[in-house]
Amino acid sequence: MTGSGPQRTRAVRKRRRSQWRGFLYIAPAMALVIVFFVMPVLFTGWMSLHNWPLMGAARWIGFANYIRMWNDSRFMAALNFTAYYTVIVTIAIFAIAFPLAIFVEKERRFVSTYRTIIFLPVVVGLATASLLWVWLANVDSGFFGPALRALGLVERSPNIMASFDTAFATIIVMVVWKIAGFTMIILLTGLQAIPSELTEAARIDGAGRWQRFRHLTLPLMRKTIALALIVSVTGSILAFDQFYIMTSGGPQNKMISVVYYIFNQSFVSFNLGYGSALSIVLLAILVAISIVQLWLLRVGEER
Amino acid sequence: MMKRLLVATSLATLCLVSTASAAEKIEMWVRTGIGDAFNKVVEAYNASHENQVVTTEVPFGELVQKYATAIAGGQAPDALSMDLIYNPAFAAAGQLEDLTDWAKSLPYFNSLSPSHVKLGTYQDKIYGLPLSVETSVFAWNKDLYKKAGLDPEKAPKTWEEIEANAEKIRELGDDTYGFYFSGGGCGGCMIFTFTPLVWGAGADILSEDSKTATLDTPQMRKAVGFYRDMVKKDLVPASAASDNGTNFLTFTNGKIGQQSLGAFAIGTLVTQYPDINFGVTLIPSVDGKTSSFAGGDNFVITKGTKKLDAVKEFLEYIYSMDGQKVMAKYGSLPTRGDIADQVLAGLDPRMQVGLKAISVAKTPYTLQFNDLINSANGPWATFTNAAIFSDDVDGAFSNAQSEMQSIIDSGQ
Repeated sequence: MTGSGPQRTRAVRKRRRSQWRGFLYIAPAMALVIVFFVMPVLFTGWMSLHNWPLMGAARWIGFANYIRMWNDSRFMAALNFTAYYTVIVTIAIFAIAFPLAIFVEKERRFVSTYRTIIFLPVVVGLATASLLWVWLANVDSGFFGPALRALGLVERSPNIMASFDTAFATIIVMVVWKIAGFTMIILLTGLQAIPSELTEAARIDGAGRWQRFRHLTLPLMRKTIALALIVSVTGSILAFDQFYIMTSGGPQNKMISVVYYIFNQSFVSFNLGYGSALSIVLLAILVAISIVQLWLLRVGEER
Repeated sequence: MMKRLLVATSLATLCLVSTASAAEKIEMWVRTGIGDAFNKVVEAYNASHENQVVTTEVPFGELVQKYATAIAGGQAPDALSMDLIYNPAFAAAGQLEDLTDWAKSLPYFNSLSPSHVKLGTYQDKIYGLPLSVETSVFAWNKDLYKKAGLDPEKAPKTWEEIEANAEKIRELGDDTYGFYFSGGGCGGCMIFTFTPLVWGAGADILSEDSKTATLDTPQMRKAVGFYRDMVKKDLVPASAASDNGTNFLTFTNGKIGQQSLGAFAIGTLVTQYPDINFGVTLIPSVDGKTSSFAGGDNFVITKGTKKLDAVKEFLEYIYSMDGQKVMAKYGSLPTRGDIADQVLAGLDPRMQVGLKAISVAKTPYTLQFNDLINSANGPWATFTNAAIFSDDVDGAFSNAQSEMQSIIDSGQ
């Protein structure tokens, strides 16, 4: 008993020293997170409690910005539109990316060529892609309209960007074309992580193609799907470039996403304080949605 | 020997320093869509002066926020060609150089465009001086008129006439259209070319004190009716519905019969598209009386710039006879009343129509101009697109009316 005293303190000291060393290792990462995430968020929170014009002096107004939000019909419309967009675009991306991932997973001739081609649009910037598609959709000098007309399918080149439904469809197709390759790569890594013994065993047991997919592939890919889903949903909720560039929020303001609205409030109406409050609320919404998704897909819980 | 060397080197350095300080580089921002007048006067100035002006063109819809952010970030240019309706807001925020004493010492100060000076004045101090004057006018393509069997020298006087002419021009064929406007949510384009239709008829979109939105008037309904009719009858190209202002000068392609334009466009047409044979008249209102939008830019100087003297020298050049002549040639009406006649002498006579428009013109003034009118997502821009292109005209009116009012109320 008496001999264990100094030994224990030595052990404690050793553990403490290794804790310090551990802290040292993560310090650079922590510094980056603190400087580029924690501090800006805290500052945004501070700004959101003020009437903070872009020029001139800020004035403390407490929670008035947050109260204003509840009666702001344009903010509600932006939330609605963003939710609508997120649901549609996420379903569309997965509907395309999953078959693609299965397609390029199997070893076949030219498989790396397929992978490269499908991944290619991902490396194009979103703004560049938007500009490209604005041109493609242009009624007079673009591609879609004039091509339809040349094929004799329509009598006159339609203005795709002039009505909500066709403009929205164009944006969805553009985003899927641009993003599906990335989701495909994530899903591909998940598919490749499934040991081939398991698939073989299931096949010997007489499981059909669909049964293998439903009871073997899907459960084993839960974490990968969760990752792909969170990346896709977060990206969609934060969508801005494509609406700003392709339709400037139109036709008739029906395409104002939440980030677009925050941008307008901050840099068009110069209400930086209100913009900050909206940003904080958006952050809270994103955190909540991510938690729900992780919980639904039970990530972290080992079977 | 040593002393002489020292003297020589210090003299040499002195010379270097003095030449360096003599040739200043003035950074200036200018918005797009106001024609070439400003760029040409800069060219002329740079060719004849030691100081040089470097201009950056900023998209017209983003200039205000870019400038405000640049000021907040300490990266603002030395001077700016600013849409004059924004002048009060920036002066009130204390971001502009006070030019009062210098302005009043100019011998021609009293003949500078009074409405510009008025908007450049805040609490009895002058923060902005007139740079360019712009009015909206109605243009028609004389060649297309002739082809369609219309009298090319007869300017249309009513919108009934304009619509009838547009139908005749449309009959010429595939790509030829009777009328054009930037209807894809371009608030700035539409306040400039479309509101004269109601102004001339005695209505306005805001009350006198700018505290009530008065959008829903019989005059506005009638004006919207004319545009809707022309769209329905296929007299307007399909691209108009999504043009957010980038193709405002579609008239220059020679396939548009009629369009409301600005005086700048007259300069652009005359100097860059000499093949287009066009006529210019004042924009008729829905009941035939004419009206126009008088706008333009003020020259403002960022507070605290180190190149104040150089900037002043440049502005004095703009106000000189040479400067004014260059500006006028490219479509900016003279800002100096005392020499306006001499400046315009020998220039295209169609410029006179732009000058004449000033007498019937209106300049709306509200501190919330950007939020209400110019913003691509503001109620006015949305209204013009919805009322003219959507199926629900009543909804367009009531939505815009209530949203305008709520923006006005929240700004009080």
